Amino acid sequence: MASEDTCFIGSKTTVRGQVSGKQDLVVEGRIEGHIGLESHLTVEECATVEAEIEASIATLRGEVRGPVTALRSVTIEASARVAGKIKAPSITIEDGARFSGEIEMDVELPAGVVPGNA
Amino acid sequence: MANTVIGSSIVVDGEISGEELLTILGTVKGKIAMAGGVVVEAGATVEADVEGQTVTVSGKLTGNVTARERLELRPESKMVGNAKAPRIVVADGATFKGNVDMDV
Repeated sequence: MASEDTCFIGSKTTVRGQVSGKQDLVVEGRIEGHIGLESHLTVEECATVEAEIEASIATLRGEVRGPVTALRSVTIEASARVAGKIKAPSITIEDGARFSGEIEMDVELPAGVVPGNA
Repeated sequence: MANTVIGSSIVVDGEISGEELLTILGTVKGKIAMAGGVVVEAGATVEADVEGQTVTVSGKLTGNVTARERLELRPESKMVGNAKAPRIVVADGATFKGNVDMDV
């Protein structure tokens, strides 16, 4: 059971549109649209999210399509299938995870290195 | 374990549909269509047309409600909109403005 303090989208529920807030969000169902959180987003193994995602921390275990921007970190766990652009200061991809897309971390490039010429 | 909770600081703008119990503590704007029950808790704000098996309102609801079984407006609840259900309970203290259709 989700505690009173988290927001929980059950496995048989679909949300289309915009979800925003300051609370932790756990998704077992389906979200299409836009997610904007100032907290922790968890996409569980059975979940499908097709959305533009902004969160503080994102833990991905299910299917995710769309750009993911996190202020702190993104973890793509072994069961996850993710497609899109991931942007965060810290990104973890576990062994077994499937990911296709672009990764952007704020890296201080050594002097003389021009971004995009990697 | 199948149910959905929209937390108190969460805003959903769009459509929620599904086959389980939906509990709203936060804000939902748009449309709600559940095969299960819908509970609008005290403190929650719903500006949406709501469809559910049973609909229980303790918070604020603006929109048309269709409950296939039962609509309950608890004390302290505020509802503006049309209500359609075979059984409707309006508790003492509830505020309601709209049409009631019990299909008689």
